[in-house]
Amino acid sequence: MPDAVRRESLVVTRREFIRAAAAIGGGLALTLDLQAQEGGAPPAMRPHALKPPSAFIQISADNTITIVTPAVEMGQGGHTAMPMIIMDELDGDWERLRVLDAPAAPVYDNPMMGQQATVGSFSVRGWYAELRRVGAAAREMLVQAAAKEWEVPANECSVSRGTIAHRPTRRRCTFGSVAVRAAGLPVPQQPTLKASGDFTIIGTSPRRVDIAAKVDGSAHYGIDIRLPDMLYAAIKACPTFGGKIRSFDDSAAKQMPGYRATVALPDAIIVVARSYWQARKALDTVEVQYDLGRLASLDSAEVSRRLRAGITEPGEVVRHDGNVQHALAGAATVLEAVYEVPYLAHACMEPMNCTVRGDSEACEVWCGTQMPQAAQAAAAAVFGLPASRVTVHTQYLGGGFGRRGQADYVAQAAAAAKAVGRPVKLVWTREEDIQHDFYRPAAAIRFRGGIDSTGRLVALECNVATSSAPDFGGPARAAFYTGGVSDTTYAIPNVRVSGVNKDIGIRFGFWRSVNDSHNPFMLEGFIDEVAHHLQQDPYRFRRSMLQHPDGRRQLAVLDLIAAKAGWDHPAPGHFFGISAFAAFGSFIGTVAEVSVKDKFVTLHRVVSAIDCGVAIHPDNIQAQLEGGMVYGLTAALRGEITLEHGAVRQSNFNDYPVLMLADMPRFECYIVPSTAPPSGVGEPGTAPIAPALGNAIYAATGERVRSLPLSKYGFTLVSARA
Amino acid sequence: MFKLTINGTEHSIDADADTPLLWVLRDEVGFTGTKFGCGKGLCGACSVLFDGELTRSCIMPLGTVAGHAITTIEGLSEHSDHPVQRAWIAESVPQCGYCQSGMVLAAAALLKRTPDPTDADIDTITNICRCGTYNRIRKAIHRAAAEMKAAK
Repeated sequence: MPDAVRRESLVVTRREFIRAAAAIGGGLALTLDLQAQEGGAPPAMRPHALKPPSAFIQISADNTITIVTPAVEMGQGGHTAMPMIIMDELDGDWERLRVLDAPAAPVYDNPMMGQQATVGSFSVRGWYAELRRVGAAAREMLVQAAAKEWEVPANECSVSRGTIAHRPTRRRCTFGSVAVRAAGLPVPQQPTLKASGDFTIIGTSPRRVDIAAKVDGSAHYGIDIRLPDMLYAAIKACPTFGGKIRSFDDSAAKQMPGYRATVALPDAIIVVARSYWQARKALDTVEVQYDLGRLASLDSAEVSRRLRAGITEPGEVVRHDGNVQHALAGAATVLEAVYEVPYLAHACMEPMNCTVRGDSEACEVWCGTQMPQAAQAAAAAVFGLPASRVTVHTQYLGGGFGRRGQADYVAQAAAAAKAVGRPVKLVWTREEDIQHDFYRPAAAIRFRGGIDSTGRLVALECNVATSSAPDFGGPARAAFYTGGVSDTTYAIPNVRVSGVNKDIGIRFGFWRSVNDSHNPFMLEGFIDEVAHHLQQDPYRFRRSMLQHPDGRRQLAVLDLIAAKAGWDHPAPGHFFGISAFAAFGSFIGTVAEVSVKDKFVTLHRVVSAIDCGVAIHPDNIQAQLEGGMVYGLTAALRGEITLEHGAVRQSNFNDYPVLMLADMPRFECYIVPSTAPPSGVGEPGTAPIAPALGNAIYAATGERVRSLPLSKYGFTLVSARA
Repeated sequence: MFKLTINGTEHSIDADADTPLLWVLRDEVGFTGTKFGCGKGLCGACSVLFDGELTRSCIMPLGTVAGHAITTIEGLSEHSDHPVQRAWIAESVPQCGYCQSGMVLAAAALLKRTPDPTDADIDTITNICRCGTYNRIRKAIHRAAAEMKAAK
């Protein structure tokens, strides 16, 4: 989620109290009381009757430790990282862990960004402090219960892997054996937390809990749900954004085998049938007349024209250090460059889908979602039910990347289920998925850099124009969509960043790494231009602008990647490009090593490093940085959604191509040891490959890449193994 | 009615002849480990073994496959312990996991044909993974190959 949202939610000072919750079948269950409290008021321990689904942890008499994770699992490791944080403080037995997805409920709202959302690399950094308290409180209660039973002082007891021991009297018991007793004890609100040196699980890499089911086909995704009496639905939406269905003729569909119903939405036709294939075939026969709407003549050239007009407008100023106008006027040299990026689709491997069963009393939703309460609200609105009557069964997500933070597909499935009065599974085609996404916006930036007579970059002016921005219930603010530029930590005395939202009408999407998916590409490209203009080494030029306290961690990452890449000693014919910046609370950097011949780019090696504070699960951090790099590299090389007559031209993996095994570079990844609070991991890795690669191509060819994808310039990736 | 042998068991399928095998497996028989990704044979999420050969089931009409033997991810091994599956776990390959049924089958098919694959051999796998697990896939295939060699 955007930083702008986060900053606002942080204004609310919210204290969270740990409460005991009734456990199913006896045992100890704890939850967090998220009711807003003022300042440091002491915890008010009220009677409560919470049901276990609102708990975060439940320890049963059979020693099973059930952890309800507020982070969904979309491959980023949330189902493992969340339990690790609790289990470490608890000293629980990892082998007895059972993980459940949280239902839609405000108790699971992320404390940092204020919503129940697995987005914005917020899960670990938002939940770290609170989940440690939950684990530590449970541990103290279990120890107290054992000590009481043994009539010994609690502080003489030790805990290891789910077993409590009192050495002086040689007594031992399991968590499960005292869980019922512990549940009757007062809940410690400020339990003692471990020193980071005492962690036994955090910082190790236990096997991810979802791995085994994902190698034998038993893992369940939204698309795999099958309910009794369930019907299947296929959908086709109006090709243009903002277009509507004017009329349709489904008389042929009605004659097709298995056909059950046609459901007309304002902007899409759904056909429901006995089987999915029958629904698809029947839908193909429906003849639809569209009102294509106001964007019917929009094409990508027009988007580009409007963005390039936007960067000349005054815009909303979000940062102004010193006096840029004055500094530019007095500069010995002014460099100017315009950068631009296209729309991008997410292309999750699992096409959008949702299964809904509901009536006038209640409704159930099965889907992969990054925002269960948004899914709940979408279904509730369709059925005219209060949210409390809608149960969301979150499944594994076959990719999220920001796309599954939207609930459009939930509303559609709900509409179909309501219309036919039976459970319905709606599955989009890949074509619908590519053509009706919420897109990473096309954007452009005009940079002006002022260099003084001593060769210092003394002024930086950044005019940002975006084609869309999220609706936070008010006008889109430039503070959000200039992120990745406006928060640069380079020491430049005069900096001015402004933004213009051209609001072209293509719906906005949070796309893995959000603004950092494009703004740092542009800024780090321009910084590289300045370095080359000054005939300075691009790595050392960046170094020189990070010699201040706020640049310390970024500098360490920059130095690390340069050292690991062997920056000063490239192999003959090989060239390096570098990029480093802050993203999602972390510090990230990448060196790309290339050789280029006749526009054929060989990417020999990618070296990345991150300082993400306490590294919860190092192996998974490496996986996320590598996966992020691949996602960013696909976009840098080939990713482009274009518009023609108001519709998306691309349709499937043939014309929206993504990287495959043969394209993979060697990847090295380093984690800077840190005791700082944990920060984002899932998204930062996506961002630095595009600028590093663009800068490397410049080093190799002298050709400056100012827009993406690289295929536009005729550059093609060839395998390093060819 | 079409007769198909799926994971060693014969099934009678009552579906239209043009129904792609993918949807037969998923919706008619219930082998949901085979995934829908693109519907055009481009991504490999729907990969199955068709008389032992790696095949993309989303573009195979039921009418053309009747009478043949299909192996899905559920039928690759009895206890989820095919060397490729073990290697996948050892290397923690999957992220979202949606493409991995197809990847595992593609790797198993490769190793059957080429027991000691080079990196270039592995590069011939054209299944798509959006999470970017490719380098771990490569490592896991080499690991499985080594294990299978050692077991001989």
